[in-house]
Amino acid sequence: MQRATLLPYVMILPSVALAIWIIGYPIYDVAHTSLHDVNRFGQVREFAGIANFAALWADPIAIASFWRTLIWTVAVVGGTIVVSVPIALMLDDDFIGQGLARVIVMLPWAVSLAMTAIVWRWTLNGQYGMLNATLFNLGLLDGPVEWLATAEVAFPVMIAIGILVSIPFTVTVFLGGLASLPRDIFEAARIDGATAWQRFTQLTLPLLRPFINIAIVLNIIYVFNSFPIIWVLTQGDPANSTDILVTYLYKLAFRYGRLDVAAAMSLVMFAALLAFTIVYAWMVMRGRQAEAAET
Amino acid sequence: MSRLQKSAVYWLCLSPLAVVILLPYAVMLSTALKPRAEVLSFPPTWIGSELRFANFAEMWASTGFGPSLAASLIVSAAATVVCLLVAIPAAYALARLRFRGRTLYAQLLLITQMLSPIVLVIGIFRLMAAMGLVDQLWALVLTYGAFNLAFAVWMLQSYFSTIPKELEEAAWIDGATGLQSLTLVFLPMALPAVAVTSIFVFIYSWNEFVLALTLMRSPDKFTLPLKIFSLVGGAYRIDWEYVMAATFLASVPVAIVFSWLQRYLVRGLSVGSVK
Repeated sequence: MQRATLLPYVMILPSVALAIWIIGYPIYDVAHTSLHDVNRFGQVREFAGIANFAALWADPIAIASFWRTLIWTVAVVGGTIVVSVPIALMLDDDFIGQGLARVIVMLPWAVSLAMTAIVWRWTLNGQYGMLNATLFNLGLLDGPVEWLATAEVAFPVMIAIGILVSIPFTVTVFLGGLASLPRDIFEAARIDGATAWQRFTQLTLPLLRPFINIAIVLNIIYVFNSFPIIWVLTQGDPANSTDILVTYLYKLAFRYGRLDVAAAMSLVMFAALLAFTIVYAWMVMRGRQAEAAET
Repeated sequence: MSRLQKSAVYWLCLSPLAVVILLPYAVMLSTALKPRAEVLSFPPTWIGSELRFANFAEMWASTGFGPSLAASLIVSAAATVVCLLVAIPAAYALARLRFRGRTLYAQLLLITQMLSPIVLVIGIFRLMAAMGLVDQLWALVLTYGAFNLAFAVWMLQSYFSTIPKELEEAAWIDGATGLQSLTLVFLPMALPAVAVTSIFVFIYSWNEFVLALTLMRSPDKFTLPLKIFSLVGGAYRIDWEYVMAATFLASVPVAIVFSWLQRYLVRGLSVGSVK
Protein backbone atom coordinates (compact mmCIF):
# COMPACT_ATOMS: atom_id res chain seq x y z
CA MET A 1 0.00 0.00 0.00
CA GLN A 2 2.84 2.35 0.94
CA ARG A 3 4.44 1.71 -2.44
CA ALA A 4 1.23 2.30 -4.36
CA THR A 5 0.70 5.74 -2.82
CA LEU A 6 4.28 6.84 -3.36
CA LEU A 7 4.58 5.55 -6.90
CA PRO A 8 2.95 8.49 -8.77
CA TYR A 9 5.17 10.97 -6.93
CA VAL A 10 8.28 8.99 -7.77
CA MET A 11 7.20 9.02 -11.40
CA ILE A 12 6.61 12.76 -11.64
CA LEU A 13 9.62 13.67 -9.49
CA PRO A 14 12.24 13.83 -12.29
CA SER A 15 10.06 16.15 -14.36
CA VAL A 16 9.36 18.40 -11.38
CA ALA A 17 13.08 18.48 -10.56
CA LEU A 18 14.04 19.38 -14.14
CA ALA A 19 11.38 22.08 -14.33
CA ILE A 20 12.40 23.64 -11.02
CA TRP A 21 16.09 23.49 -11.90
CA ILE A 22 15.98 24.90 -15.42
CA ILE A 23 12.81 27.04 -15.32
CA GLY A 24 11.99 27.66 -11.65
CA TYR A 25 15.42 28.82 -10.52
CA PRO A 26 15.82 31.32 -13.39
CA ILE A 27 12.45 32.83 -12.41
CA TYR A 28 13.78 33.38 -8.89
CA ASP A 29 17.09 34.68 -10.24
CA VAL A 30 15.41 37.18 -12.57
CA ALA A 31 13.23 38.43 -9.71
CA HIS A 32 16.28 38.72 -7.44
CA THR A 33 18.34 40.51 -10.10
CA SER A 34 15.55 42.96 -10.87
CA LEU A 35 15.63 44.24 -7.29
CA HIS A 36 19.40 44.73 -7.16
CA ASP A 37 22.04 46.84 -8.78
CA VAL A 38 24.16 44.90 -11.28
CA ASN A 39 27.51 46.15 -12.57
CA ARG A 40 28.75 45.85 -16.11
CA PHE A 41 30.39 42.51 -15.40
CA GLY A 42 27.14 40.95 -14.29
CA GLN A 43 27.92 40.97 -10.56
CA VAL A 44 24.83 41.50 -8.44
CA ARG A 45 25.51 44.23 -5.86
CA GLU A 46 23.39 46.16 -3.37
CA PHE A 47 19.63 46.08 -3.04
CA ALA A 48 18.09 48.69 -5.30
CA GLY A 49 14.40 48.52 -4.46
CA ILE A 50 12.27 49.48 -7.42
CA ALA A 51 14.99 51.62 -9.02
CA ASN A 52 15.29 49.27 -12.01
CA PHE A 53 11.56 49.35 -12.61
CA ALA A 54 11.65 53.15 -12.36
CA ALA A 55 14.50 53.24 -14.90
CA LEU A 56 12.43 51.09 -17.21
CA TRP A 57 9.42 53.36 -16.82
CA ALA A 58 11.57 56.42 -17.59
CA ASP A 59 13.12 54.85 -20.70
CA PRO A 60 11.36 56.20 -23.81
CA ILE A 61 12.65 53.30 -25.95
CA ALA A 62 11.14 50.77 -23.53
CA ILE A 63 7.80 52.58 -23.64
CA ALA A 64 7.92 52.80 -27.45
CA SER A 65 8.79 49.09 -27.60
CA PHE A 66 5.84 48.34 -25.37
CA TRP A 67 3.39 50.09 -27.70
CA ARG A 68 5.02 48.45 -30.71
CA THR A 69 4.67 45.07 -29.02
CA LEU A 70 0.98 45.78 -28.59
CA ILE A 71 0.59 46.60 -32.30
CA TRP A 72 2.73 43.61 -33.27
CA THR A 73 0.75 41.17 -31.13
CA VAL A 74 -2.70 42.45 -32.07
CA ALA A 75 -1.87 42.66 -35.79
CA VAL A 76 -0.19 39.25 -36.03
CA VAL A 77 -2.73 37.39 -33.89
CA GLY A 78 -5.72 39.14 -35.47
CA GLY A 79 -4.43 38.57 -38.97
CA THR A 80 -3.61 34.95 -38.23
CA ILE A 81 -7.06 34.14 -36.86
CA VAL A 82 -8.89 35.89 -39.72
CA VAL A 83 -6.83 34.06 -42.35
CA SER A 84 -6.79 30.70 -40.57
CA VAL A 85 -10.54 30.17 -40.18
CA PRO A 86 -11.31 29.95 -43.92
CA ILE A 87 -8.13 27.93 -44.53
CA ALA A 88 -9.07 25.40 -41.86
CA LEU A 89 -12.62 25.15 -43.26
CA MET A 90 -11.24 24.41 -46.72
CA LEU A 91 -8.64 21.93 -45.46
CA ASP A 92 -11.32 20.15 -43.42
CA ASP A 93 -13.44 19.68 -46.53
CA ASP A 94 -12.86 16.97 -49.10
CA PHE A 95 -11.29 18.23 -52.34
CA ILE A 96 -8.75 17.16 -54.94
CA GLY A 97 -5.22 17.64 -53.60
CA GLN A 98 -6.34 18.12 -50.00
CA GLY A 99 -3.33 16.21 -48.64
CA LEU A 100 -0.89 18.34 -50.64
CA ALA A 101 -2.64 21.54 -49.54
CA ARG A 102 -2.33 20.50 -45.89
CA VAL A 103 1.38 19.82 -46.29
CA ILE A 104 1.98 23.22 -47.93
CA VAL A 105 0.03 25.14 -45.29
CA MET A 106 1.90 23.36 -42.47
CA LEU A 107 5.33 23.85 -44.04
CA PRO A 108 6.37 27.12 -42.30
CA TRP A 109 6.01 25.36 -38.93
CA ALA A 110 8.78 22.90 -39.74
CA VAL A 111 11.49 25.44 -40.46
CA SER A 112 13.42 27.39 -37.86
CA LEU A 113 12.07 30.94 -37.52
CA ALA A 114 15.64 32.21 -37.69
CA MET A 115 16.22 30.46 -41.01
CA THR A 116 12.86 31.57 -42.41
CA ALA A 117 13.77 35.13 -41.49
CA ILE A 118 17.21 34.81 -43.10
CA VAL A 119 15.69 33.63 -46.38
CA TRP A 120 13.18 36.48 -46.27
CA ARG A 121 15.94 38.99 -45.55
CA TRP A 122 17.62 37.90 -48.78
CA THR A 123 14.34 37.73 -50.71
CA LEU A 124 13.52 41.29 -49.59
CA ASN A 125 16.96 42.67 -50.44
CA GLY A 126 16.35 45.96 -52.24
CA GLN A 127 18.85 45.46 -55.04
CA TYR A 128 19.34 41.73 -55.52
CA GLY A 129 16.23 40.27 -53.85
CA MET A 130 13.86 38.15 -55.90
CA LEU A 131 10.76 39.89 -54.53
CA ASN A 132 11.55 43.22 -56.15
CA ALA A 133 12.66 41.47 -59.35
CA THR A 134 9.48 39.40 -59.54
CA LEU A 135 7.12 42.28 -58.73
CA PHE A 136 8.97 44.44 -61.26
CA ASN A 137 8.66 41.79 -63.97
CA LEU A 138 4.93 41.50 -63.26
CA GLY A 139 4.62 45.26 -63.68
CA LEU A 140 3.58 45.77 -60.05
CA LEU A 141 6.57 47.93 -59.13
CA ASP A 142 8.19 50.87 -60.92
CA GLY A 143 11.53 50.67 -59.13
CA PRO A 144 13.26 48.80 -56.32
CA VAL A 145 11.73 49.09 -52.83
CA GLU A 146 14.03 48.97 -49.78
CA TRP A 147 11.78 46.74 -47.70
CA LEU A 148 13.84 46.69 -44.52
CA ALA A 149 15.46 50.13 -44.50
CA THR A 150 12.71 52.09 -42.74
CA ALA A 151 10.38 51.10 -39.92
CA GLU A 152 7.30 52.26 -41.85
CA VAL A 153 7.86 49.52 -44.43
CA ALA A 154 9.85 46.98 -42.42
CA PHE A 155 7.40 46.61 -39.53
CA PRO A 156 4.34 45.74 -41.68
CA VAL A 157 6.53 43.30 -43.64
CA MET A 158 7.58 41.63 -40.38
CA ILE A 159 3.95 41.47 -39.28
CA ALA A 160 3.09 39.72 -42.55
CA ILE A 161 5.88 37.17 -42.00
CA GLY A 162 4.70 36.76 -38.41
CA ILE A 163 1.21 35.92 -39.67
CA LEU A 164 2.61 33.49 -42.23
CA VAL A 165 4.51 31.46 -39.62
CA SER A 166 1.60 31.50 -37.13
CA ILE A 167 -0.94 30.08 -39.59
CA PRO A 168 0.13 26.41 -39.35
CA PHE A 169 -0.31 26.11 -35.59
CA THR A 170 -3.61 28.00 -35.67
CA VAL A 171 -4.99 25.93 -38.54
CA THR A 172 -3.95 22.79 -36.64
CA VAL A 173 -5.97 23.85 -33.59
CA PHE A 174 -8.97 24.66 -35.80
CA LEU A 175 -8.72 21.35 -37.67
CA GLY A 176 -8.73 19.56 -34.31
CA GLY A 177 -11.81 21.57 -33.38
CA LEU A 178 -13.60 20.92 -36.67
CA ALA A 179 -12.90 17.19 -36.37
CA SER A 180 -14.67 17.15 -33.01
CA LEU A 181 -17.85 18.85 -34.27
CA PRO A 182 -20.92 16.61 -34.56
CA ARG A 183 -21.52 16.06 -38.29
CA ASP A 184 -25.21 15.17 -37.96
CA ILE A 185 -26.16 18.72 -36.89
CA PHE A 186 -24.78 20.07 -40.17
CA GLU A 187 -26.64 17.39 -42.11
CA ALA A 188 -29.88 18.32 -40.32
CA ALA A 189 -29.32 22.03 -41.01
CA ARG A 190 -28.73 21.27 -44.69
CA ILE A 191 -31.93 19.24 -44.90
CA ASP A 192 -33.82 22.06 -43.19
CA GLY A 193 -32.66 24.37 -45.99
CA ALA A 194 -29.92 26.42 -44.27
CA THR A 195 -27.54 28.01 -46.77
CA ALA A 196 -23.81 27.48 -46.55
CA TRP A 197 -23.39 31.00 -45.11
CA GLN A 198 -26.10 30.37 -42.50
CA ARG A 199 -24.50 27.09 -41.52
CA PHE A 200 -21.17 28.89 -41.16
CA THR A 201 -22.42 31.80 -39.02
CA GLN A 202 -25.08 29.91 -37.03
CA LEU A 203 -23.34 26.58 -36.49
CA THR A 204 -19.64 26.41 -37.36
CA LEU A 205 -18.50 29.69 -35.79
CA PRO A 206 -20.33 29.27 -32.46
CA LEU A 207 -19.20 25.65 -32.16
CA LEU A 208 -15.64 26.59 -33.09
CA ARG A 209 -15.68 29.44 -30.57
CA PRO A 210 -13.75 27.65 -27.76
CA PHE A 211 -11.03 26.65 -30.22
CA ILE A 212 -10.80 30.20 -31.57
CA ASN A 213 -10.45 31.50 -28.02
CA ILE A 214 -7.69 29.04 -27.22
CA ALA A 215 -5.89 29.82 -30.49
CA ILE A 216 -6.09 33.54 -29.66
CA VAL A 217 -4.65 33.10 -26.16
CA LEU A 218 -1.87 30.73 -27.21
CA ASN A 219 -0.96 32.90 -30.21
CA ILE A 220 -0.85 36.00 -28.03
CA ILE A 221 1.69 34.23 -25.83
CA TYR A 222 3.79 32.98 -28.76
CA VAL A 223 3.73 36.22 -30.73
CA PHE A 224 4.42 38.39 -27.68
CA ASN A 225 7.55 36.26 -27.16
CA SER A 226 8.56 36.09 -30.79
CA PHE A 227 12.20 37.07 -31.14
CA PRO A 228 13.92 35.59 -34.23
CA ILE A 229 11.95 37.29 -37.02
CA ILE A 230 12.67 40.83 -35.87
CA TRP A 231 16.17 40.00 -34.63
CA VAL A 232 17.25 38.51 -37.94
CA LEU A 233 15.54 41.03 -40.22
CA THR A 234 16.45 44.33 -38.54
CA GLN A 235 17.75 43.65 -35.00
CA GLY A 236 15.12 46.19 -33.94
CA ASP A 237 16.90 48.92 -35.89
CA PRO A 238 17.16 51.46 -37.53
CA ALA A 239 17.60 53.36 -34.22
CA ASN A 240 15.38 51.00 -32.20
CA SER A 241 12.44 51.86 -34.46
CA THR A 242 11.36 48.22 -34.95
CA ASP A 243 12.16 46.95 -31.44
CA ILE A 244 9.52 45.06 -29.53
CA LEU A 245 9.90 44.21 -25.84
CA VAL A 246 11.77 40.93 -26.34
CA THR A 247 14.34 42.37 -28.76
CA TYR A 248 14.88 45.44 -26.59
CA LEU A 249 15.19 43.18 -23.54
CA TYR A 250 17.91 41.22 -25.30
CA LYS A 251 19.79 44.39 -26.26
CA LEU A 252 19.54 45.78 -22.72
CA ALA A 253 20.91 42.56 -21.25
CA PHE A 254 23.58 41.48 -23.69
CA ARG A 255 24.51 44.58 -25.67
CA TYR A 256 24.03 47.57 -23.37
CA GLY A 257 25.09 45.62 -20.24
CA ARG A 258 22.01 46.60 -18.21
CA LEU A 259 21.17 43.18 -16.76
CA ASP A 260 19.31 44.77 -13.84
CA VAL A 261 16.89 46.83 -15.95
CA ALA A 262 16.51 43.93 -18.36
CA ALA A 263 15.61 41.66 -15.44
CA ALA A 264 12.98 44.15 -14.31
CA MET A 265 11.60 44.09 -17.85
CA SER A 266 11.57 40.28 -17.83
CA LEU A 267 9.61 40.29 -14.60
CA VAL A 268 6.99 42.69 -15.98
CA MET A 269 6.64 40.47 -19.06
CA PHE A 270 6.49 37.36 -16.88
CA ALA A 271 3.60 38.90 -14.95
CA ALA A 272 1.79 39.68 -18.20
CA LEU A 273 2.31 36.13 -19.44
CA LEU A 274 1.11 34.67 -16.17
CA ALA A 275 -2.08 36.70 -16.47
CA PHE A 276 -2.62 35.29 -19.96
CA THR A 277 -1.89 31.78 -18.69
CA ILE A 278 -4.55 32.13 -16.03
CA VAL A 279 -7.02 33.28 -18.68
CA TYR A 280 -6.08 30.24 -20.75
CA ALA A 281 -6.45 27.80 -17.85
CA TRP A 282 -9.82 29.33 -17.03
CA MET A 283 -10.94 28.92 -20.63
CA VAL A 284 -9.86 25.28 -20.76
CA MET A 285 -11.69 24.61 -17.53
CA ARG A 286 -14.83 26.34 -18.75
CA GLY A 287 -14.67 24.37 -21.98
CA ARG A 288 -14.35 21.16 -20.01
CA GLN A 289 -17.36 22.05 -17.88
CA ALA A 290 -19.41 22.82 -20.98
CA GLU A 291 -18.36 19.47 -22.40
CA ALA A 292 -19.29 17.67 -19.18
CA ALA A 293 -22.66 19.42 -19.21
CA GLU A 294 -23.34 18.19 -22.74
CA THR A 295 -22.63 14.53 -22.05
CA MET B 1 -21.14 22.56 -57.38
CA SER B 2 -19.20 19.52 -58.47
CA ARG B 3 -16.16 18.23 -56.61
CA LEU B 4 -13.97 19.38 -59.48
CA GLN B 5 -15.34 22.93 -59.39
CA LYS B 6 -15.03 23.06 -55.62
CA SER B 7 -11.43 21.87 -55.80
CA ALA B 8 -10.62 24.56 -58.37
CA VAL B 9 -12.16 27.28 -56.19
CA TYR B 10 -10.33 26.05 -53.08
CA TRP B 11 -6.98 25.94 -54.85
CA LEU B 12 -7.61 29.41 -56.26
CA CYS B 13 -8.25 30.71 -52.71
CA LEU B 14 -5.23 28.91 -51.30
CA SER B 15 -2.85 29.84 -54.12
CA PRO B 16 -1.71 33.26 -52.80
CA LEU B 17 -0.78 31.65 -49.50
CA ALA B 18 0.89 28.70 -51.24
CA VAL B 19 2.96 31.09 -53.35
CA VAL B 20 4.14 33.05 -50.30
CA ILE B 21 4.97 29.83 -48.44
CA LEU B 22 6.85 28.26 -51.34
CA LEU B 23 8.62 31.44 -52.49
CA PRO B 24 11.43 31.15 -49.88
CA TYR B 25 12.17 27.59 -51.05
CA ALA B 26 12.41 28.76 -54.64
CA VAL B 27 14.70 31.62 -53.57
CA MET B 28 16.84 29.21 -51.51
CA LEU B 29 17.33 26.82 -54.41
CA SER B 30 17.75 29.54 -57.01
CA THR B 31 20.48 31.37 -55.08
CA ALA B 32 22.19 28.21 -53.78
CA LEU B 33 22.75 27.02 -57.36
CA LYS B 34 23.99 30.28 -58.90
CA PRO B 35 27.61 31.09 -59.65
CA ARG B 36 28.92 33.69 -57.20
CA ALA B 37 29.23 36.50 -59.73
CA GLU B 38 25.57 36.21 -60.67
CA VAL B 39 24.23 36.26 -57.10
CA LEU B 40 25.04 39.95 -56.82
CA SER B 41 24.11 41.00 -60.33
CA PHE B 42 21.32 43.36 -61.21
CA PRO B 43 18.61 42.65 -62.24
CA PRO B 44 18.54 39.28 -60.45
CA THR B 45 17.24 36.24 -62.33
CA TRP B 46 15.62 33.06 -61.09
CA ILE B 47 17.98 30.72 -62.90
CA GLY B 48 21.67 31.44 -63.34
CA SER B 49 23.80 30.65 -66.39
CA GLU B 50 24.62 27.23 -64.89
CA LEU B 51 23.29 25.08 -62.05
CA ARG B 52 26.30 25.17 -59.79
CA PHE B 53 25.97 22.21 -57.41
CA ALA B 54 29.60 22.76 -56.35
CA ASN B 55 28.33 25.62 -54.15
CA PHE B 56 27.13 23.02 -51.66
CA ALA B 57 30.55 21.37 -51.36
CA GLU B 58 32.34 24.72 -51.14
CA MET B 59 29.90 25.98 -48.54
CA TRP B 60 30.44 22.80 -46.49
CA ALA B 61 34.20 23.31 -46.51
CA SER B 62 34.37 27.07 -45.98
CA THR B 63 31.63 27.73 -43.41
CA GLY B 64 32.23 24.91 -40.93
CA PHE B 65 28.85 23.37 -41.71
CA GLY B 66 30.03 19.90 -40.63
CA PRO B 67 30.78 20.73 -36.95
CA SER B 68 27.52 22.68 -36.71
CA LEU B 69 25.58 19.79 -38.18
CA ALA B 70 27.20 17.53 -35.59
CA ALA B 71 26.41 20.00 -32.79
CA SER B 72 22.78 20.22 -33.91
CA LEU B 73 22.47 16.43 -34.14
CA ILE B 74 24.06 15.85 -30.72
CA VAL B 75 22.05 18.56 -28.96
CA SER B 76 18.74 17.58 -30.55
CA ALA B 77 19.21 13.86 -29.90
CA ALA B 78 20.40 14.33 -26.31
CA ALA B 79 17.63 16.84 -25.52
CA THR B 80 15.07 14.41 -26.91
CA VAL B 81 16.42 11.57 -24.76
CA VAL B 82 16.51 13.71 -21.60
CA CYS B 83 13.01 15.06 -22.24
CA LEU B 84 11.48 11.65 -23.00
CA LEU B 85 13.18 9.87 -20.08
CA VAL B 86 11.64 12.41 -17.73
CA ALA B 87 8.30 12.78 -19.52
CA ILE B 88 7.39 9.09 -19.99
CA PRO B 89 6.98 8.22 -16.29
CA ALA B 90 5.21 11.52 -15.64
CA ALA B 91 2.79 10.94 -18.51
CA TYR B 92 2.19 7.40 -17.30
CA ALA B 93 1.38 8.66 -13.82
CA LEU B 94 -1.01 11.27 -15.22
CA ALA B 95 -2.73 8.79 -17.53
CA ARG B 96 -3.00 5.81 -15.18
CA LEU B 97 -2.72 6.82 -11.53
CA ARG B 98 -4.90 8.95 -9.30
CA PHE B 99 -2.96 10.99 -6.77
CA ARG B 100 -3.27 14.11 -4.65
CA GLY B 101 -1.68 17.14 -6.29
CA ARG B 102 -2.43 15.90 -9.78
CA THR B 103 -4.13 19.20 -10.68
CA LEU B 104 -1.32 21.19 -9.12
CA TYR B 105 1.17 19.23 -11.21
CA ALA B 106 -0.85 19.88 -14.38
CA GLN B 107 -0.84 23.60 -13.55
CA LEU B 108 2.92 23.56 -13.02
CA LEU B 109 3.31 22.02 -16.47
CA LEU B 110 1.05 24.66 -17.96
CA ILE B 111 3.22 27.45 -16.52
CA THR B 112 6.40 25.93 -17.94
CA GLN B 113 4.67 25.68 -21.31
CA MET B 114 3.58 29.30 -21.26
CA LEU B 115 7.02 30.70 -20.44
CA SER B 116 9.22 31.13 -23.41
CA PRO B 117 13.01 31.01 -23.00
CA ILE B 118 13.36 34.66 -24.02
CA VAL B 119 11.57 35.96 -20.92
CA LEU B 120 13.89 33.94 -18.69
CA VAL B 121 16.99 34.32 -20.83
CA ILE B 122 18.85 36.38 -18.21
CA GLY B 123 18.13 33.89 -15.43
CA ILE B 124 19.02 30.93 -17.63
CA PHE B 125 22.26 32.58 -18.71
CA ARG B 126 23.23 33.30 -15.10
CA LEU B 127 22.30 29.76 -14.04
CA MET B 128 24.43 28.23 -16.78
CA ALA B 129 27.29 30.62 -16.01
CA ALA B 130 27.15 29.59 -12.36
CA MET B 131 27.28 25.92 -13.34
CA GLY B 132 30.12 26.54 -15.80
CA LEU B 133 27.97 25.38 -18.71
CA VAL B 134 28.18 28.46 -20.93
CA ASP B 135 29.51 27.39 -24.33
CA GLN B 136 28.82 23.75 -23.44
CA LEU B 137 26.31 21.77 -25.50
CA TRP B 138 24.90 20.46 -22.20
CA ALA B 139 23.42 23.88 -21.51
CA LEU B 140 21.26 23.55 -24.63
CA VAL B 141 20.39 19.92 -23.93
CA LEU B 142 19.04 20.76 -20.47
CA THR B 143 17.11 23.86 -21.49
CA TYR B 144 15.57 22.28 -24.58
CA GLY B 145 14.59 19.24 -22.53
CA ALA B 146 12.97 21.38 -19.84
CA PHE B 147 11.08 23.67 -22.22
CA ASN B 148 9.62 20.67 -24.09
CA LEU B 149 8.57 18.84 -20.98
CA ALA B 150 4.98 20.03 -20.86
CA PHE B 151 4.40 19.40 -24.55
CA ALA B 152 5.90 15.89 -24.31
CA VAL B 153 3.92 14.96 -21.21
CA TRP B 154 0.66 16.14 -22.80
CA MET B 155 1.26 14.35 -26.08
CA LEU B 156 2.26 11.11 -24.36
CA GLN B 157 -0.51 11.24 -21.81
CA SER B 158 -3.18 11.67 -24.47
CA TYR B 159 -1.93 8.54 -26.26
CA PHE B 160 -1.26 6.57 -23.08
CA SER B 161 -4.85 6.93 -21.93
CA THR B 162 -6.01 5.22 -25.14
CA ILE B 163 -4.03 2.04 -24.34
CA PRO B 164 -6.36 -0.42 -22.55
CA LYS B 165 -5.46 -0.95 -18.92
CA GLU B 166 -6.62 -4.58 -19.07
CA LEU B 167 -3.47 -5.59 -20.94
CA GLU B 168 -1.24 -4.64 -18.05
CA GLU B 169 -3.63 -6.17 -15.53
CA ALA B 170 -3.48 -9.43 -17.47
CA ALA B 171 0.32 -9.29 -17.24
CA TRP B 172 0.11 -8.78 -13.48
CA ILE B 173 -2.20 -11.77 -13.11
CA ASP B 174 0.29 -13.83 -15.10
CA GLY B 175 2.85 -12.94 -12.45
CA ALA B 176 4.70 -10.01 -14.03
CA THR B 177 6.01 -7.31 -11.70
CA GLY B 178 5.00 -3.69 -12.19
CA LEU B 179 8.27 -2.89 -13.93
CA GLN B 180 7.99 -5.95 -16.20
CA SER B 181 4.47 -5.13 -17.28
CA LEU B 182 5.57 -1.55 -17.90
CA THR B 183 8.59 -2.41 -20.03
CA LEU B 184 7.31 -5.58 -21.72
CA VAL B 185 3.63 -4.81 -22.26
CA PHE B 186 2.97 -1.10 -21.99
CA LEU B 187 5.99 0.54 -23.59
CA PRO B 188 5.96 -1.56 -26.80
CA MET B 189 2.34 -0.49 -27.32
CA ALA B 190 3.20 3.13 -26.57
CA LEU B 191 6.14 3.13 -28.97
CA PRO B 192 4.41 4.99 -31.82
CA ALA B 193 3.43 7.81 -29.46
CA VAL B 194 6.94 7.93 -28.05
CA ALA B 195 8.38 8.06 -31.56
CA VAL B 196 6.10 10.89 -32.71
CA THR B 197 6.71 12.92 -29.55
CA SER B 198 10.47 12.38 -29.88
CA ILE B 199 10.48 13.72 -33.39
CA PHE B 200 8.64 16.89 -32.40
CA VAL B 201 11.04 17.52 -29.50
CA PHE B 202 13.91 16.86 -31.89
CA ILE B 203 12.57 19.37 -34.43
CA TYR B 204 12.07 22.03 -31.73
CA SER B 205 15.67 21.56 -30.59
CA TRP B 206 16.92 21.55 -34.17
CA ASN B 207 15.26 24.90 -34.86
CA GLU B 208 15.75 26.76 -31.55
CA PHE B 209 17.58 30.09 -31.85
CA VAL B 210 17.49 32.42 -28.83
CA LEU B 211 19.10 30.10 -26.28
CA ALA B 212 21.77 28.99 -28.73
CA LEU B 213 22.51 32.65 -29.51
CA THR B 214 22.86 33.43 -25.80
CA LEU B 215 24.66 30.35 -24.48
CA MET B 216 27.10 29.40 -27.24
CA ARG B 217 30.41 31.18 -27.86
CA SER B 218 32.70 29.07 -30.05
CA PRO B 219 31.70 28.82 -33.73
CA ASP B 220 32.44 25.08 -33.86
CA LYS B 221 29.71 24.52 -31.25
CA PHE B 222 27.10 26.67 -32.98
CA THR B 223 23.94 24.78 -33.84
CA LEU B 224 22.75 25.21 -37.43
CA PRO B 225 20.33 28.17 -37.01
CA LEU B 226 23.02 30.06 -35.11
CA LYS B 227 25.72 29.08 -37.60
CA ILE B 228 23.64 30.35 -40.51
CA PHE B 229 22.76 33.51 -38.59
CA SER B 230 26.47 34.08 -37.95
CA LEU B 231 27.04 33.92 -41.72
CA VAL B 232 24.74 36.91 -42.30
CA GLY B 233 25.40 38.86 -39.11
CA GLY B 234 28.47 41.00 -38.75
CA ALA B 235 30.31 39.85 -41.87
CA TYR B 236 31.25 42.67 -44.20
CA ARG B 237 30.60 40.50 -47.22
CA ILE B 238 27.77 37.98 -47.13
CA ASP B 239 28.14 34.95 -49.42
CA TRP B 240 24.45 34.53 -50.05
CA GLU B 241 24.88 31.46 -52.25
CA TYR B 242 26.53 29.69 -49.27
CA VAL B 243 23.93 30.98 -46.83
CA MET B 244 21.10 29.68 -49.02
CA ALA B 245 22.83 26.34 -49.62
CA ALA B 246 23.31 25.92 -45.86
CA THR B 247 19.72 26.94 -45.11
CA PHE B 248 18.46 24.50 -47.70
CA LEU B 249 20.47 21.60 -46.24
CA ALA B 250 19.47 22.51 -42.68
CA SER B 251 15.75 22.93 -43.32
CA VAL B 252 14.56 20.68 -46.12
CA PRO B 253 15.15 17.26 -44.44
CA VAL B 254 13.31 18.49 -41.34
CA ALA B 255 10.51 19.93 -43.46
CA ILE B 256 10.02 16.56 -45.17
CA VAL B 257 9.86 14.63 -41.88
CA PHE B 258 7.52 17.24 -40.44
CA SER B 259 5.19 17.13 -43.45
CA TRP B 260 4.90 13.42 -43.02
CA LEU B 261 4.10 13.72 -39.30
CA GLN B 262 1.92 16.84 -39.13
CA ARG B 263 -1.33 14.85 -39.05
CA TYR B 264 -0.33 13.41 -35.66
CA LEU B 265 -0.15 16.95 -34.32
CA VAL B 266 -3.79 17.61 -35.15
CA ARG B 267 -4.70 14.61 -33.04
CA GLY B 268 -2.19 15.22 -30.24
CA LEU B 269 -3.01 18.90 -29.83
CA SER B 270 -6.74 18.46 -29.96
CA VAL B 271 -6.60 15.75 -27.32
CA GLY B 272 -3.76 17.15 -25.25
CA SER B 273 -4.30 20.86 -24.87
CA VAL B 274 -7.98 21.30 -25.53
CA LYS B 275 -9.60 18.40 -23.77
